[in-house]
Amino acid sequence: MPFLFLLPFLFFLLLFWVIPLVGGVKMSLHANGLGRAEFVGLEHYQALAKDERYITALRNSFTYTLASIVVIVPLALWLAHLLRATTRRLRPVMTFALLLPALTPPSVLAMLFLMVFHGKNGLLNQLFVMPLGLEPVSWLKDPDFILSGLVLQTVWRWTGFMTFFILAGMEGIPRVYYEAARLVTGSRWQHFWHVTLPQLRPVLLFVAVYLVVDGFSLFSGAFVLLGGSGGTADAGLLTVTYVFQKTRFFEYGTASAISVSLLPLLMLALWAALFLRRRTA
Amino acid sequence: MSAQGKTVRGALSLLLLGPFLMAVFVPFLWMVLGIFKTNAEFFQPLTSAFFPAHYEWQNVVELLEGKWVPFWDVFGNSLAVSLGQAFGAVTLSAMAGYAFARFTFFGKRLLFVLAVALILVPRQLFAVPLFSWVNELGLSDSLLGVMLPGVVTGLGVIYFTQVFRQVPEEYLQAARVCGAAELRVFLTLLPLVWPALLSYGMIHFILAWHEHLIPMLVLTSETKQTLPLALAKLYDVSQRTPQGVQMAASTFAVIPTAVLFAVCHRKFKSSLSDMLVH
Repeated sequence: MPFLFLLPFLFFLLLFWVIPLVGGVKMSLHANGLGRAEFVGLEHYQALAKDERYITALRNSFTYTLASIVVIVPLALWLAHLLRATTRRLRPVMTFALLLPALTPPSVLAMLFLMVFHGKNGLLNQLFVMPLGLEPVSWLKDPDFILSGLVLQTVWRWTGFMTFFILAGMEGIPRVYYEAARLVTGSRWQHFWHVTLPQLRPVLLFVAVYLVVDGFSLFSGAFVLLGGSGGTADAGLLTVTYVFQKTRFFEYGTASAISVSLLPLLMLALWAALFLRRRTA
Repeated sequence: MSAQGKTVRGALSLLLLGPFLMAVFVPFLWMVLGIFKTNAEFFQPLTSAFFPAHYEWQNVVELLEGKWVPFWDVFGNSLAVSLGQAFGAVTLSAMAGYAFARFTFFGKRLLFVLAVALILVPRQLFAVPLFSWVNELGLSDSLLGVMLPGVVTGLGVIYFTQVFRQVPEEYLQAARVCGAAELRVFLTLLPLVWPALLSYGMIHFILAWHEHLIPMLVLTSETKQTLPLALAKLYDVSQRTPQGVQMAASTFAVIPTAVLFAVCHRKFKSSLSDMLVH
């Protein structure tokens, strides 16, 4: 009986997920190029291990993802906390305003961001950097700033969205918990630390997993901002950009090998998240 | 806390939130104002020419008349693909979620883990094999080729499993006592969980609306393109599209998702609050 309900899902799962995934693994074991290619075994993987650009892309993606989590989670917690203190009438309007970037197609976001960052005339340079008497920063050309630029874009894009989830979570925490906590201590910080945070664990877990997945699959943003390149000195080269570059030159074998090599990493992230949840529950 | 203390805290929060709201809002305002600017105005330093000199609708008219891209085709395609995907994803995930929440069967845990793993594999990473498989199915350059792969979602299955676990057992009992077949039980439950159906449909619609890479590979003819593809073309420097037209297209690309969210936002939030903490 349950299989009647699972059947449509399983059918599409097989058709559009399992088959392409197997196809990807198969592709990674065959020579580059279109059409029928010869079997080369693990050659692509061995080449990747020595490929400096692959290592760079991996390191950049890792830094990028970690940085976005480290910035977004505390910021979203703080914003949700601030929103809670505002009047009920204003709250939905402000939440919606903060969420606007998450509703915007990534290519539009990247365009807006290009303008914000763009050279000397960009908003960021005009309003913040130059008034402080500093040299205007060339955000998308200077290798020291490219990755921070990409992180800033993610922060701008997702913080409001995550704030929304955290706010929804906070509003679901039963009042009695706080009343009980108030009997023990009056410190707001203690309430936050011992009631709010543990109660929000599922939300925060969701946020972290979401950002990890997005960090490794972000395409439009880096694509429009850096024109599909890795930026100066590959400072902004992410794994997904590298896959795209290889695809563009029909190096399908290598491209698939990069994708497959990321799977264990993503699985590890999921396992760590679930493990942490069980440990602390 | 005293009423006065509450007001003070509210005002202080507003003050602290201000810069963040500005940071989000100003670029969007700049985008909308850009519709009315000439190219010369557009490229001046932002601080000296933030507002346009004249408000004329020339750029919007050009865009809607299809001078640069077949706008209405593209808009319609995006709408069709996103609606179709959202509907498909809600149907499949709700059914699967019901099965996971309400039945015990052999291999359930394994299947569920598989669904979770789905979330973790970004589709973008396997775009090429997916693309060649879609071609083999004869779906290249068709909207179905973009729509169908998007209906499988791990997030949806997990969401609906959680949703159906929270439906009180009494409802089910009542339905079963009346001798209803399992499919009927499921259908009678649907009106009860409609905020969840709506919420997930909305989220999936937004994700489908944003999808860039898969349509880029699958759709080739100009009238079959979706909005992100048309936007990328308009932004392309070599096309020499007036900046105002680009800004108009960008604005139109944001409006549907923004309106949808504004309408569903309250239901979505309460459905989340119920689910996240329990």
